[in-house]
Amino acid sequence: MKTYDRTAAPGPKKSASIKVYPAIAAQRNDGFVPGPWTIEEGRAMRGAASCDVNNRVLQVPGAPDQVARLVRAHELTHARVSPTGDVLERAWAEGIHPHALACAEEARVNFLVAQAGFDVEFLCDGTEKDAGEKVAQLGDWPEALCFAAAAKGTGAEKPYLAGIRKGNKDWVTPMRQVLKRIIEILEEQSTSYIASTELLESGYPLGFEATTLPIARLLTTYMSAEIPDGPEALRAFKRGLHPGNRRPVSGKFANLVWLDQPEFERVNLRGDTRKSRPSLSGVSMRYPNRYLTDPQKRVMGKKARADGGIVIIDQSGSMDLSADVVREFAKRHPRARLVGYSHRPGDGGVTPNAWILAANGKVATSEIPANIGNGVDGPILRWAISQRRGSEPLVWVCDGQVTDSHDHPGHHLSVECAELVAKHKIRIVPNLYEVANALAHPRGVRPSEYPRLGRVGRVLADRSKKN
Amino acid sequence: MTNNNQPSCWDDFATVIAAGIKRVLLYGEPGVGKTYAALHTNNENPENAYRLVCTEDLTSAEITGTWMPNGSGTWDFLTGPAINAWIGVDGLGGRLVVDEVDRASGDVLSQLLAMTDSPESARWRHPGTNEILRPGPNFTVVMTSNVEDPEDIPEALIDRFPTRIKIDRPPLAAVERLSEDLRAGALYGVGDSRLPLRSLYAFDQLRAHCGDEEAARLIFGANGEAIVDSLRIARVGQ
Repeated sequence: MKTYDRTAAPGPKKSASIKVYPAIAAQRNDGFVPGPWTIEEGRAMRGAASCDVNNRVLQVPGAPDQVARLVRAHELTHARVSPTGDVLERAWAEGIHPHALACAEEARVNFLVAQAGFDVEFLCDGTEKDAGEKVAQLGDWPEALCFAAAAKGTGAEKPYLAGIRKGNKDWVTPMRQVLKRIIEILEEQSTSYIASTELLESGYPLGFEATTLPIARLLTTYMSAEIPDGPEALRAFKRGLHPGNRRPVSGKFANLVWLDQPEFERVNLRGDTRKSRPSLSGVSMRYPNRYLTDPQKRVMGKKARADGGIVIIDQSGSMDLSADVVREFAKRHPRARLVGYSHRPGDGGVTPNAWILAANGKVATSEIPANIGNGVDGPILRWAISQRRGSEPLVWVCDGQVTDSHDHPGHHLSVECAELVAKHKIRIVPNLYEVANALAHPRGVRPSEYPRLGRVGRVLADRSKKN
Repeated sequence: MTNNNQPSCWDDFATVIAAGIKRVLLYGEPGVGKTYAALHTNNENPENAYRLVCTEDLTSAEITGTWMPNGSGTWDFLTGPAINAWIGVDGLGGRLVVDEVDRASGDVLSQLLAMTDSPESARWRHPGTNEILRPGPNFTVVMTSNVEDPEDIPEALIDRFPTRIKIDRPPLAAVERLSEDLRAGALYGVGDSRLPLRSLYAFDQLRAHCGDEEAARLIFGANGEAIVDSLRIARVGQ
């Protein structure tokens, strides 16, 4: 399935000599502009046939055999139901992975081809078993899962799963569970719903919204899921397949997505803090008046310790932070940076999960996303370490609980964060009120503080016992 | 395409006829409704249109007329379609539609050129009455040809028919006589995937009696399977 801007559609080119009738098949009611199609010679192989609905270009094999006939039927079904215009781009903007969306649409189309009475067992090109084995050996679970969805119900499914089993047998059971759910989604709807191209108020065609989008969302979620390693993990994996249930464990942090923040408000009207302080010794006499007024006669100037620092604050559901507290922080610590983070569980990189709350005596005025999970504890710590100037204090305001991109805690994630805390002497405090003290006394976490630092504290305690 | 899905070639033809152009040549592949449109476009009275189909065996007598026995032992001269069109039902002239003009023999083509000459030059003596006839003021000629390239049309004909329109799609009115699921196929077939309008009419009628598959096999032969496949996909979920 390709997408192009319909307005930029070129005129029809000379067509190949293939008897195929997309104009008859494309009976749609989504505002699709009917017109002559360009037919291009394709082959009955994966990737060698396509349907570009926006530009009305059909690439199909012309051979008289059953496989070619099924490939033609498959591409004609795209001409019949696949969305036009910017529908795909809008779905991508929602955070649905483009590959997941394409494969979900393949699953819908193959289902409809079968409903139209074609024997979809012929939809295979003989390369599926090798492809399954190779992708499993490469450890590319997202690709393996998407392809399995695209092949669901066709003649390609069985050899592909056999290849997966050969490459990594642990993948087969969870993959079958996802495929089972995909079929449930398709069978929950009537064929008229699945095939409908009637545009809804959402701007999506009915069939696309009713089936392709739920399948694509499911695939997007499970592409980043951790392969279950035992019966309990498999049960959790299966639970996440149904709407309303908790997502499966991903076992990975999400990537940082910074909030676009064009404007800040200055709250520290005094400006920057002074850069030197009186001292008995030094190279320049900055405070001669102190010779008379200061009993200790501290007339020399000494470079003041920068009262900057980086404060990372977990703003997930378990933590709370008011605007007044942030403003107070910016006033008291004008040279420190206060950075918030929280990840929307399951988000694929669309919703920002990190933002500057205060820096240089200014506070952010933009609205902060109301995310729920942590999701990016590790990446935000790494970012802070990379931004640290010299030995300036680095404080992490959190409850010691870290979670993956689907908001599940994970021991290896806690270990990852604990290692960073220990190695880079990151101070952990449970709330913003303790930050002033932490900035004034930069040091790592003391053993006495471990018990109140959740999972990270426990890992730090275990680590100190071993050492 | 225009907004109402009428292919632009037919808009061009309607514009030309409405502008009073009286000599038009329509060319293009068969089965797109050239003759249908030639007979009906801007012609309120279908009886005032006279059709002549050129073949290699067509004689010039079949154009202007021929002597025929009248049953009382004498002969009457029966005028042919060209002269009938000169006169028309009201004496003011009608429309002469000459199909497949590229297939006409040299003699017939010469006769046709004489009949379709400009009103100032065209004249014909009636063999029965010796009356000199001229084309009526409303006499129009629409010739059709199946040639794809206008270069293949004889030069003398091109000289008399400066307005030539390539017809590559059937007119909407002709397509609307088909069932809805076949209309797009009639309008937008390209190259080898073009479906002749007459075949679609026959298929549409026949499938009501014996179903899609049998009708497609009988009308389209080996191509029937591809047409039935497209129809099955068009109907899925409907």
